Amino acid sequence: MVIVKRKELSLLERLYLPAVMRGLSITFLKMFEPKITRQYPEEPLVKTDVTRGQPRLVVLENDAIACVSCGLCEAACPAYAITIDGHETDRTIEREPKRFDIDMLRCILCGFCEEACPADAIYMSDELELADYSRESQIYDIEKLKRPKAALQKRIDYVNRINQRWQTPSST
Amino acid sequence: MSTFEGFLIALVKTVVIFGTVVQVAALMTLAERRFSAWMQYRIGPNRVGPFGLLQPLADGVKFIFKEELTPDGANKWIFRAAPVLAALPAMMTIAVIPFASHVTIGGRDFGTLSVTDLDVGILYILALGGLSIYGVILGGWASNSKYSLMGALRASAQMISYELTLILTILAIVLMAGSLNLREIVEAQSSVGSWHILSQPLAFVMFVVATFAETNRHPFDFSECEPELVAGFHTEYSAMKWAMFYIGEYSAMTMMACLTVVLFLGGWSVPFWESAPWYVGLAAFLAKTSFFLFLFVWVRWSLPRFRFDQLMRLGWKVFLPLSLVNLLVTGAFKTFGWNLFPW
Repeated sequence: MVIVKRKELSLLERLYLPAVMRGLSITFLKMFEPKITRQYPEEPLVKTDVTRGQPRLVVLENDAIACVSCGLCEAACPAYAITIDGHETDRTIEREPKRFDIDMLRCILCGFCEEACPADAIYMSDELELADYSRESQIYDIEKLKRPKAALQKRIDYVNRINQRWQTPSST
Repeated sequence: MSTFEGFLIALVKTVVIFGTVVQVAALMTLAERRFSAWMQYRIGPNRVGPFGLLQPLADGVKFIFKEELTPDGANKWIFRAAPVLAALPAMMTIAVIPFASHVTIGGRDFGTLSVTDLDVGILYILALGGLSIYGVILGGWASNSKYSLMGALRASAQMISYELTLILTILAIVLMAGSLNLREIVEAQSSVGSWHILSQPLAFVMFVVATFAETNRHPFDFSECEPELVAGFHTEYSAMKWAMFYIGEYSAMTMMACLTVVLFLGGWSVPFWESAPWYVGLAAFLAKTSFFLFLFVWVRWSLPRFRFDQLMRLGWKVFLPLSLVNLLVTGAFKTFGWNLFPW
């Protein structure tokens, strides 16, 4: 059993008023301190290398899409947001997606697709704004997802740097 | 001055005062949110209109278009009447508050800036102020919800205990001024030295605390205490009916702030400038009132809520005896003609 000893309050303390005044003075002074609210549309979000926004498809320097439509991201996606249809072409890397849709309403920005991709073709961009007026417009097709490699370079470098941690001398 | 002219003047005064009070009540909702935001390092609503000043209007439009819900088993008529009953008394009591004296426009004296110059102004305020509790009780009871009923019960217990203190402190002021007429009470405090806050400091403190309890404001807002009762008496209310309760609360705050200024801070009297013109007096009145309105918000965002039994103890065991003693001492001073303040 714990016996809690309560401190006897003095008359001044029992009046509460001095404590009330102190509390009031604190809140009053806080009113003039700098605000931490971000005025969102005007003040953009702070984006770092780590920012994991919506997934985007990499377009290589020769204007070809890096994706080989292997379907691993589709399988890895926990929200079933990705739908892929592939076909073959005459390129050196034959396979190419015919259809690559990501339902942005389903996407949870987890980055599993990025991890799963064997062709370094899908990366999480720093784009986060998806507001629109219809549900249909939230299903992003291949044209909406394509980004030149240079635009995603920041994230690509970051992922490579992180992946280096897991590379043992034998595996390199 | 013909009867028609008198009627016209009264009408203009009524429209001006009533319009101002409703506007102030609306702006107080914005002020509450802005000040609370500043106290928490936030900015607050600043999108609608300049500095967010049109926010109350936007809220009003939203409330009108929201769905009105009436719970099953609610007493429909009382459920509908309660918000009106909550909002009306506060707006009606403002009628006797004198905002400025000898309003002179173009060399003509239009008398006191109040809807009516009632000889029993204080009685009128106390009578109507007592009615405002019916809105809360009936609203809570008619909702057919346990939270609402608990909130209403608490509100009624709290109102009774604090109304007593309120009346007894006001009585001390009535003794000091020797009148029930609010204009005469203000006129009795023409210089700073005769402001009742100096001669009745104890009554002032008790009155201010009692106004917080009377208007159901923090730290005494037990009738709508969120952690225990969801939202208390207005749990089941939505849309404009809910907004009516808030209009009532903010009007009551405005009214109580005005009353505090009239009773204790000399109404329109300007410190050290006794012959100030009426518009300076009006500005002084509004400045004093806005301080007390700010105090309502300020205290709400600074202090934690009391416990209900603490509130009752404070009301019955501390404030009631103290205000009785205060009244007795004031009476003794008056009867024997003693004077603490010889100026």
